[in-house]
Amino acid sequence: MTDPMTGPVAGRAAQPVAEAGAWWAVPAAPALLLGLAVLTVAAGAVLDARDAGRAVTPRTALRPLLDVAHALVRQPRRLPASDRLLWRLGVVTVPVSAVLAVLVVPFGGHAVADPSVGLVWFNAMEVLTWAGLWLAGWGPNAALSLVGGYRFLAQGLAYELPLMFALISAATGAGSLRTGAIVAAQQDLWFAVWMPVAFAVHLLGVLAFSFTGPFAYPTGRDLAGGVLGEVGGADRLLLRAGRRLWLAAGAAMAVPLFLGGGAGPGLPAWAWSLVKTLLVLAVLVAAERRLPVLRADRWVEFAWVVLLPLSVVQALVPALVVL
Amino acid sequence: MDLTARLLRAAAARPRLLVLTTPGGTPVRLAVEREARLRDWPVAATPADAGLLVLAGPGHPGTAPAVERLWRDMPGPRARLHARHPDEVAAALDAARARLASPDLQRADAAARPAAPPPDELPMAEQGPDRDGLWLDRLHVPLGPFLPDWPAGLVLRLVLQGDVVQQAALAGPAPVPGPAAGAGGRFWAEPWLRAAAGEPVTIGEAARRRAAAQLDSLARLLALAGRPGQATRARRLRDALLAHAPEPAVRPAVAALHRAVCRWGTLRRLTRGLGVLSTAEAEAAGVSGPAARADGDVFDRCREWLECVARDVRRLDATGPLDPADPVGREGPRGRTTGPLPPSVALAGLLPRLLTGTELAGARLIVASLDPDPDELAAAGAELAHD
Amino acid sequence: MSTTAAALSLLLLALLAVAAVYLAHHLVRLPGAPYAGPFLSGLEPAEHAVSRYHVRWYTVTLLFLAFDMEMVFMYPWTRVVAAMGTPAVVEMFVFLGILLAGVAHAWREGALRWT
Repeated sequence: MTDPMTGPVAGRAAQPVAEAGAWWAVPAAPALLLGLAVLTVAAGAVLDARDAGRAVTPRTALRPLLDVAHALVRQPRRLPASDRLLWRLGVVTVPVSAVLAVLVVPFGGHAVADPSVGLVWFNAMEVLTWAGLWLAGWGPNAALSLVGGYRFLAQGLAYELPLMFALISAATGAGSLRTGAIVAAQQDLWFAVWMPVAFAVHLLGVLAFSFTGPFAYPTGRDLAGGVLGEVGGADRLLLRAGRRLWLAAGAAMAVPLFLGGGAGPGLPAWAWSLVKTLLVLAVLVAAERRLPVLRADRWVEFAWVVLLPLSVVQALVPALVVL
Repeated sequence: MDLTARLLRAAAARPRLLVLTTPGGTPVRLAVEREARLRDWPVAATPADAGLLVLAGPGHPGTAPAVERLWRDMPGPRARLHARHPDEVAAALDAARARLASPDLQRADAAARPAAPPPDELPMAEQGPDRDGLWLDRLHVPLGPFLPDWPAGLVLRLVLQGDVVQQAALAGPAPVPGPAAGAGGRFWAEPWLRAAAGEPVTIGEAARRRAAAQLDSLARLLALAGRPGQATRARRLRDALLAHAPEPAVRPAVAALHRAVCRWGTLRRLTRGLGVLSTAEAEAAGVSGPAARADGDVFDRCREWLECVARDVRRLDATGPLDPADPVGREGPRGRTTGPLPPSVALAGLLPRLLTGTELAGARLIVASLDPDPDELAAAGAELAHD
Repeated sequence: MSTTAAALSLLLLALLAVAAVYLAHHLVRLPGAPYAGPFLSGLEPAEHAVSRYHVRWYTVTLLFLAFDMEMVFMYPWTRVVAAMGTPAVVEMFVFLGILLAGVAHAWREGALRWT
């Protein structure tokens, strides 16, 4: 056993875990992430077309990618007294942190790396989006954009703690912060089954750090796009890509944390990881279209008064089980 | 290989629109929205995201400076069009797309943009007292004339502390000069105004127009509440009604929309207590129609619209003449049209009081749930200006 | 390959991709960079938008920080809880209970009231 302090649950199912994966995992992981992100865009386009009463053809799914061409030919704009350095730093942070987050996400039996603090790494990368989106809102020196940036902070102050308790529930159940060990600990029973609250909170958290669906509040239509309102060209492309990359990264992380990773009968581990990730993504894409926007005046109070105590109680459950 | 030219052509296959509607331009806006939906041309929120500025409606000097400012703020590739009549929308969109796809035109436009910066003499935010007696920075932020899912032309000048509306003042729209102020310029109230002028109007025609108007309002509210899919469905139904779809074709869809909006009570919970307006207060302010009958908050008004629409689609084929004794004849989409001022004037008058102290997103939902008709406001402004 | 090397490679790859997007934009975009105003529904701004924001963010932030500090302890705690046994669980959740009592107090005082 590589981890001297893994708990009995993990101990039962412990397998030798390598610290880092093969070299090819470094390009493969972001490529896969990008593929999943494009898939969510395509799925959204098909559902949009259905809502709008347009015929659904293979082209329908790919039409949103024309926005890439639009972004690339766009002139940049100069706004009075905008803070271009911080603005751009914020924009770049969002997609880059999403890519960095997949460092610790195992796919099948492979991960780019499986450090002993994998869960903390994922958490830290996700918190980087706070800085990213707030800076992206502050940078253009525009009132509606600024409100959008602060909206994300309000949202973050509320979703972050329940999300951390959800992550900690999984870590406690495995007695390890290593994602590989968390997968191994679920050989008998998925964490989603006996930690349903943590699983649900994680899914909510994914929508929140992807600022989409019910958490699209920072980029709300009511703010004329909010944080996205003043960005154009490559910046806009990166910020919108970051949003979908985070959705895909969050969905991919849900699989090792709560759905037993690549475990499953018949198919190879990578296939099970893919199937489970796609299912989680489908749930998230459906949820982002069904749930209305949660405004801060409702969400902050709900998250602190209802969700936080619930997720603390949920964290108590695995703590008692591993005793 | 000219990569820029290729990308320009690719981008022009799906232009992003900035739709600006002038007073009296409702039918043109409806035609633009319908074309955009069927062609999959997204409706953008700001000039930074849009490439095609669509001015819908008759020329209007009051909002012309705002239009020019938004055009100035739009980076290339860009094109603009002005559609004054619904019939010319499709052709104008095609022509504008051709201009967007032309590398020569776009390069010429890009080269002609002024290179000198505008003077920057803005002050920093000053401070003022807030609800708790604290001294906080405040920003002056206008809502309108041109904001996505907003009654185009309406201007509310807000004083914001953070995202809390500290003061709100009504400042528009500017009145419409000339013939646009007449019944033809008030698309949604037109059947009632025509009937009042002695023209023959059937109950079915008025019921159809009223249901479409309320679906249009509902679509804005749903879009702002973060349900773009349901907003699209409401707009589709609106377009179907205006295209004379028969009753059996729309009734199931109206019922399905009603169910979807009310499902799980999530929208109800998220809008509870927002913009509460009792029937007594509403009537004292001169408001009639759905906003007064709803006797409650944003969601109550939303549900009242849904119920009105459900009632009206049962009368689409009624051929009797519209008369004031009839439930359809009594009031237009926003209320009674027989008063000295159009019903939207009273609705807009309520906004400053209802918005004070709300959070910005809540404020937008309150405006959308009352949804004063900018055509009526502009016509009233013209009437007042004549007096 | 060590974890550090893997993390740095991933960072490098992500930054290269971002740089490629900016480079592509720089090469194919239309020339010039026009001046524009911030979007205010078509009207001009009255002052700079960057300002000190509403105070209630700071009260929620303080509440958040109290919990966040606690998280620093809870991550390592997950690894030793099984070995340390009942006292570790009792201590941690009594501590969390105290923090939650603080949240309840702040809630009653209106720290989470938005408007």
